[in-house]
Amino acid sequence: MPDSNVKEVLERFPNTWIDRDNFAMFEGFLEKRMLINRCQDCQKYFQPPWPSCPNCWSENVEPTEVSGNGVVHTFVILHTGALVGVEGVDYMKGYPLLVVELEEQEGLRVTGPMVNCANEDIRIGMPVRLNWIERQGHPVPAFQPA
Amino acid sequence: MSPRFPVRDQVAIVGVGTTPFSRDAGKSDIALAVEASKNAIRDAGLTKNDIDGVSATMLGVQHVQAALGLEKLTYFLNCFPTFSQQIVNAMNAVFSGVCDTVLCYHTVAVSPNNSRAAAADPFRIRAASGGLSRPPSPWPDSLAFPPSYAAWANRYFHEYDAKREWLGLIAINSRTNAMRNEHAVMRAPLTMEDYFAARMVRGPLFGMLDMDYPVDGADAFVVTTAERAKDLPNKPVLIHSAVLGQTNCTVEEILPDLEHSAHQVVMDALWARSELSLQDIDLFQPYDGFSFICLKWFESVGYCGVGEAGPFLEDNWDKEENRILIGGRVPANTHGGSLSDGGTQGSGHIREAVLQLQGKAGNHQHPGLKSALLGVGGFFPYSGGLILRTE
Repeated sequence: MPDSNVKEVLERFPNTWIDRDNFAMFEGFLEKRMLINRCQDCQKYFQPPWPSCPNCWSENVEPTEVSGNGVVHTFVILHTGALVGVEGVDYMKGYPLLVVELEEQEGLRVTGPMVNCANEDIRIGMPVRLNWIERQGHPVPAFQPA
Repeated sequence: MSPRFPVRDQVAIVGVGTTPFSRDAGKSDIALAVEASKNAIRDAGLTKNDIDGVSATMLGVQHVQAALGLEKLTYFLNCFPTFSQQIVNAMNAVFSGVCDTVLCYHTVAVSPNNSRAAAADPFRIRAASGGLSRPPSPWPDSLAFPPSYAAWANRYFHEYDAKREWLGLIAINSRTNAMRNEHAVMRAPLTMEDYFAARMVRGPLFGMLDMDYPVDGADAFVVTTAERAKDLPNKPVLIHSAVLGQTNCTVEEILPDLEHSAHQVVMDALWARSELSLQDIDLFQPYDGFSFICLKWFESVGYCGVGEAGPFLEDNWDKEENRILIGGRVPANTHGGSLSDGGTQGSGHIREAVLQLQGKAGNHQHPGLKSALLGVGGFFPYSGGLILRTE
């Protein structure tokens, strides 16, 4: 990881826990690429980005781009939370937060807000695709109906 | 008189591991802990499946457990260095039988205060910056902590066609019990209409009355040997079985499903260490930090099958008393739980079980109790369970 990239990523994500293990994930966000660690030996994706494979203990692990396509595993409409006052987050109306199971692997799940869909229309099992939003000065993964 | 020390020569250190030491390893603290731990486990001639306890300094056990893929722990503890408490804690856990084989680790890292090179390392600076600690997941909209319970409740409702009235019964049971308990802070009668009228907080399922009631307060306990207890004034409340439970999912969105949560790790291990079975239990104290956790505990301890907690509550609802009496006999959360006594993360449930078993619960004493089952905690990543009894 070149020093210039480290500096930029840390500046764009202030007050965020960024370490050597999760750095590539945040670097990917700036390029609007969703990177998830994948073991090059047993081929399993895993989350969060641990430095070695929890399945087979291999250290041959690569942050690997995923499609962002998946289905809604579950969701919650938040009327309270940690993003009070952040632009684009409306807890009065309800902030729709999804758990999405990605098509790459059973049980591989990520989270993000739903966009371009009314809260009342969100259903468990509905197909979604990635759609990045800008929040707090950097891209954040979000989803919309596929 | 020499002190009791039944553990003498009974517990052994069987493996050791380390990493190279340097001024800059170029690796995270987790990577170093994982490397030393793998070396120690391999040195012992064991595999990750043999580890059911972890005792460590302040680098989170849950992170290292997940990174190592240790599926189920029934004991885990972080405490500050210097490094010897961790060995004593491991010894106690193995000797007691709470777990069989404990991984102990300690990670050190050069801090930005230690050297100019470290002071120029952007990752060390970030880790040392005020107010930051490693979250369960770095994902920006991770479900970590409160939102996860409403989200998993939603999944459960989807899978089992559940009714929100079931959560309402949990809230009403706690309130009815709290009305008899002078210690409880929420003692006004609660109807199903009141429950549904409460403001929504985490939709579509969790309103104000599905969440524990925040209070200022404290609970405290004194623990000694059963032998010593005989000479003390209170009726001894014996710890019949006790375990912790932690899965390798640091963060809630990656839990495979609600049948593979800390609840199952706890209950499998708790019953395996108990001479009592569910039919022998006189008092049930399921943790209710959220109403849904409490609903799920009825399934997790084995009162009913998966997805059946709602009908079970309806079948075991005493209309006259307006509360749960399992089999017409066993009450649940007699103090009012975290929902109505006040949110205590479980200490209130234990306080109440002790008072009930001692016969010292005053106005809300339930007669003839000799055993209590406590499910204390949520689904992720960790939970706990106790069976308490009196002679």
